[in-house]
Amino acid sequence: MTRDTPPPEELWALLQRLTHVSRLATMGEMAAGIAHELNQPLTAIASYAQACDWLLARGSTDTAEIRDALQQITAQGLRAGEIIRRLRNLVRTPDTHRVLTDCNELIQELKGLALTDARVHNVRLDLDLAPSLPQVIVNRGEIQQVVLNLLRNAVEALESMPPERRHILLRTGATPEGMVEIGVFDTGPGVDRKIVDRLFAPFVTTKPSGAGLGLAISRSIVEAHRGTLRYRPEGTGGAGFMFCLPHAQGGA
Amino acid sequence: MTKDPQAIVVVVDDDEAVRSSTRLLLKSVGLPALTYSSAQEFLDNHDPQQPGCVVLDVRMPGMSGLELQQLLNLRGAIIPVIFITGHGDIPMAVEAMQHGAFDFLQKPFRDQDLLDRVQRALEKDAVNRVQMREKHRIRERLDSLTPREREILDLMTRGKPNKVMAADLGVSQRTVEIHRARVMEKMGASSLAQLVRMVMDLDQASLATETGAANLAAR
Repeated sequence: MTRDTPPPEELWALLQRLTHVSRLATMGEMAAGIAHELNQPLTAIASYAQACDWLLARGSTDTAEIRDALQQITAQGLRAGEIIRRLRNLVRTPDTHRVLTDCNELIQELKGLALTDARVHNVRLDLDLAPSLPQVIVNRGEIQQVVLNLLRNAVEALESMPPERRHILLRTGATPEGMVEIGVFDTGPGVDRKIVDRLFAPFVTTKPSGAGLGLAISRSIVEAHRGTLRYRPEGTGGAGFMFCLPHAQGGA
Repeated sequence: MTKDPQAIVVVVDDDEAVRSSTRLLLKSVGLPALTYSSAQEFLDNHDPQQPGCVVLDVRMPGMSGLELQQLLNLRGAIIPVIFITGHGDIPMAVEAMQHGAFDFLQKPFRDQDLLDRVQRALEKDAVNRVQMREKHRIRERLDSLTPREREILDLMTRGKPNKVMAADLGVSQRTVEIHRARVMEKMGASSLAQLVRMVMDLDQASLATETGAANLAAR
């Protein structure tokens, strides 16, 4: 041991801060998708309200129609609120607790956001969630951040592909050893051979505006959960990233 | 001459709430509207003879609004398209305008902004349809000319005097005069100037469609 190595608890806190920063950065990258998703209910609210105004100004007596529009305004207001609630859950301040979790549930929570992000980039995102997964003991926010990082990378990798060849598959399953595996597979150009070996090192990036921290942080998070994160080139030429987490009985 | 059926505003958006709220807004000012949830549904059901305009969401799963626009262009559709875009979709809006979109609007929109654009698009569509019918009529008249009359018409529009035409065609000046009168009558033109304008309008229209289709095909 040298004096230069910080104590483990300091490293731990640093990783958590970095994770939070990385999460906020991801949200920034996904801003277009978030704005788009919020715009839908706002557009509907504005149009319903303006329609009611016109109907009343013209002396409409069709109260059923006006009431229906007002109820729609309420429903769309709640819809917008739900989108914001989901976002808040994803960017909430880091929580150090690890809890018994079903990974499929974690993915369901971020599904709406992920699908919108895929949609605004003209990407098809399919989910293939194994029906009954062993539970894991994890920090939910951190694991969600890993999934979002992998999805974001896939979406960006697909930008160079023609729209009909932009496809991502997010899959969960159990390995024969009883680990829970989450994989993100895309039909993009794959990882450049020149950087494959250093893929998980910090500050290695192929993105023009990337800091090269996403995969490094993701691997640290997964390893802190006694799991593994690895890359596998896909037969189709695309990239596959998958990580395993030990199931709860494994005593994490 | 047939009278066009009433104009309809067609709204294409994948979001149910956006669709029905826009339809209600249009209805509240007395504009009949029809909605489709995808570009494909629009293509499957839309009658090109139906006058109106299209309010089209630029981002949709499956075929995007831009792709639908290009397909309509290839088919020579004349219906004006107003694009609805989200924030940060300006590059897409620019592309749409370059491909002949009538206008675009950002979500969420003010009722007046939408209604003004729709109103202008409907006026544009009505003018387009009158012009199309007029061209169709000229084309029909042109097709009713005999080959010799067609020859005379070409020489007339190039400003040749009767004497020259008679010499070119090897007929008497009297014969040229008879053909000439028949051309004017068949084309329904009251002056040489009007005749020239008719032929020019038609040439430009067919030329424009051909280049448009060629440009798109070359993309």
